[in-house]
Amino acid sequence: MRNRLILSAAGVVAMLAFSPAPRGQDAAHPGSVPDISGVWLVEKFAPLLFPKGGAPLQPWAQMKLKATNPQTDDPNLACLPEGVPRFMISVPYPMEIFQWPSQVLIIHEGTSVLRQIHMGRQHLKDLDPTYAGDSVGKWEGDTLVVDTIGFNDKTWLDGGAIPHTEALHVVERIRRTDHDTLVDEFTIDDPMAYTKPITALQIYKLKPDWEIHEYVCEENNKYTYQKK
Amino acid sequence: MRNKLLVFSATSIFLLLSLGVSTFAHHGFVSWFDTSRSVSVKGTVTTFDWTNPHAYIYLDVKNEKGAVEKWSIELGALAMLARAGWRRDTLKSGDEITAIGNPAKDGKPTLHLSKIVFANGQELSSAL
Repeated sequence: MRNRLILSAAGVVAMLAFSPAPRGQDAAHPGSVPDISGVWLVEKFAPLLFPKGGAPLQPWAQMKLKATNPQTDDPNLACLPEGVPRFMISVPYPMEIFQWPSQVLIIHEGTSVLRQIHMGRQHLKDLDPTYAGDSVGKWEGDTLVVDTIGFNDKTWLDGGAIPHTEALHVVERIRRTDHDTLVDEFTIDDPMAYTKPITALQIYKLKPDWEIHEYVCEENNKYTYQKK
Repeated sequence: MRNKLLVFSATSIFLLLSLGVSTFAHHGFVSWFDTSRSVSVKGTVTTFDWTNPHAYIYLDVKNEKGAVEKWSIELGALAMLARAGWRRDTLKSGDEITAIGNPAKDGKPTLHLSKIVFANGQELSSAL
């Protein structure tokens, strides 16, 4: 499955590379949108959204959290994708953003997952739940607003095992605040799991000389997932 | 006994939420390793596994009775290590090094590496 994703990502990126349209456009030109393309790395590795506890969880979610052992139950121990929003918030590997009028694509080195943000369309109906969900985006001034639904319930919000359901809804406001800085503000809601929306912020720094490298998690993974 | 091998740093410099991108741990980093402590072990490299999702250094460490303890030193992913200056031939069997990093919470002879110190005093960090 992972290999198919990688091949798919490579194909799409190759297609974009040979297309005459620009990845992004200069914000100084009228009618253009900001260029957020490039390789970006989180400024601070923040593995936990609530390091002191206190996540606004529904009772069942609180019980599930307490019953979870992060040493053995993290899906990532089996090299499964962190999914959205976790890989955007709390994974210390770079991502490359490819920008296109119809799509914004994000390839994350740590998970080899292709995230597609579809510009100019609404969410599809009858979505099959997935790790990255279905993301649609639009520009509001200098901010890319990304709305994502259609998640499976197999991922955590962070490294601390905060659960969610398939009702998870993530809204991101992504803005390039200066040449070297990208800011992503998250509003994470799941009425089935949380008593109120969770907000988070991640800052990324541009790595102009970096390229995304191969990462085959299954190569020599010594961790055990759920004692299997 | 094992604790006698460990040289504890004067200060614990790792803070859970302000790690920066100083360590490129991936799987279970917060769960498995005590990020509030930094320890060092000195020994002889037996194997250097240059693999994803983590590289590993296997180290023979003599305790005070002369017995050899087998240590496993976990590093980050290869791409991030390469960006920090590591190469697949950075270490070879027989190299004498000191490994400094976060100890395992369960007390097993495992570290998550912050940096190594070669016999000549040269240092190489696992971070950028």
